[in-house]
Amino acid sequence: MAQRAVLVVNSAEASLSVVDLATQTERARIPVLREPHHVMLTPDGQDLLLGDTAANEMLFLDPVSFAIKKRMTVADPYQLGFTPDGKMLIVNGLARAQVDVYEAGSYRLLHRFPLKSMPSHVDFSPDSTTAYVSLQGTGKLAALDLKAMTVKWTADVGKAPAGVMWNNGRVLVAIMGSDDVAVVNPATGTVERRIKTGKGAHQLFRSPDGKLLYVNNRVDSTSVTLDATTLAPIRTYKIPGGPDDLVFAPDGRIWYTLRFAREVGVLDPKSGAVQTIAVGRSPHGIFIGLPPKTKPVS
Amino acid sequence: MTLTLPFDLAAGFLQEHLVLPVLYALDLMDWEEISFGWSLFAVYGAAQVVITYAVCLPLERLRPVERWPDQKAVSVDILYTLISRVGLLPLVTFVLFTQAQWALNGWLTDHDIVPPTLERLMPFLIGQPVATFLLYAIILDFSEYWRHRLSHVFNWWYSLHALHHAQRQMTFWSDDRNHLLDEVIGFVWFMAVALLIGVPPMQFPFLVLLLRLLESLSHANTRLSFGWLGERLLISPRFHRAHHGMLAAGVRSVNYGAVLPWWDMIFRTADFSADYVETGDPTAEEAMATGSYFAQQWAGVRRLFGMTTHA
Repeated sequence: MAQRAVLVVNSAEASLSVVDLATQTERARIPVLREPHHVMLTPDGQDLLLGDTAANEMLFLDPVSFAIKKRMTVADPYQLGFTPDGKMLIVNGLARAQVDVYEAGSYRLLHRFPLKSMPSHVDFSPDSTTAYVSLQGTGKLAALDLKAMTVKWTADVGKAPAGVMWNNGRVLVAIMGSDDVAVVNPATGTVERRIKTGKGAHQLFRSPDGKLLYVNNRVDSTSVTLDATTLAPIRTYKIPGGPDDLVFAPDGRIWYTLRFAREVGVLDPKSGAVQTIAVGRSPHGIFIGLPPKTKPVS
Repeated sequence: MTLTLPFDLAAGFLQEHLVLPVLYALDLMDWEEISFGWSLFAVYGAAQVVITYAVCLPLERLRPVERWPDQKAVSVDILYTLISRVGLLPLVTFVLFTQAQWALNGWLTDHDIVPPTLERLMPFLIGQPVATFLLYAIILDFSEYWRHRLSHVFNWWYSLHALHHAQRQMTFWSDDRNHLLDEVIGFVWFMAVALLIGVPPMQFPFLVLLLRLLESLSHANTRLSFGWLGERLLISPRFHRAHHGMLAAGVRSVNYGAVLPWWDMIFRTADFSADYVETGDPTAEEAMATGSYFAQQWAGVRRLFGMTTHA
């Protein structure tokens, strides 16, 4: 039986690296068309969606083997996100300043929000009624009403906002042009407080047990853990090479894509040691493949 | 690709330790995604200048066509090269091309038109980056032949292009001595063709650099011919020197190709005679040949608007 694998998206090389989870070596390189960035598992676990921005193409991959199953023409698919109820797919077009709402499953375009500018990351209210999108070019966060398909509000949150996460009734936004995470009131867009993490705060992730948040800081090349309840900083890890996305491996270690090093960094969060794995140029999105035996059956 | 690893790592180091901190300090972090492209282009551009220097300088020293008492006129050409290959131009070309391709392809996609790419036309090219890159290079070289030939046909255009031909001390540095307006026209032309055939944004700067590396060699002041067959496969310094000959300025010229001589052979503008002719343009005013950077640029503007007389 094939070993479980990790998919690494090489954004500046038009390829995907398939890395063996156990041996931490690259086992295959899959070519794509132009400039892939992010991946997202469909709610039914049947497909892994991959956005190739410059190719204007969304690929449907097998989430176990990463074989390409289908290609679909989509304008500038940069960031992808499914609503918590699994009914809608949001596609942020960073270059084209638009946010597209698709019906999940049929992938029929329901609505397009033109948003200035550079819609970057997205997260949702738990009831799936609102999408929160960071606008990197204008320093704002937009709240999109997914029922009325209207913009509820846009609010200034800081320079070049990037990662967005719903957390305990608040929206957290990583402020890449600064050194903090903004804590935003989801009803009004007011920034209630700021948590210092490091220069170039870029992306936020929740640990599998839900107790910690990881904030990756692009300029400082660090990853900072926050208490998920109090948001108090706990520990800073040095992750050289421009950490971007991360995934939590079953053995407790954390795999980071390092945008400027052609590597994935594997952090042991206990010791703080980082091992590296060579991949392609400017790795961005990352996904741990589903185990072959637990692949859902439709 | 192992070959590219040192350059990629150098670009990554530049990006992490210089470009990002500068962008952060200047409140320009919204450019962080695209800026890595510039870092890559700048590193490859600098490497290209070093490679060109390492290859061409020994050739010019060992087998020069001409020897000059001083090379003051060449120093301006060095400035042209550095501006063109390492600094401003890589930044502008990459940013503009990327933005233009985003806009065009997104608009086409919105109208249910799949943006053109060679790989979609020929699916066997997917996963063959080297073959695809070479095919794009050949198509772009063909378009460059016609751009260059037309720049000799139209008087207004040649008024600008004459700056390139005015150099009597032609060396490998001379490839980039162009009028800014001529450069802009050339860039728009190159970009339009690249958009039409769907060149990947990350390949675009590398295509520019590859073509220009070979073009630098073709300008070298050296007695170098590639032999009967080689001369028909790749443009040599001897072949391109004929294009820069004193008697070949303007519409009378030959050998318009940039990298491949095939287009000159097909369209009957090739001259394979074995002479190493004197270079220069007798119709160009002296400021174009030996003036400062700005004097040369201004001379081009004057000629464009008929403020100077020429043959």
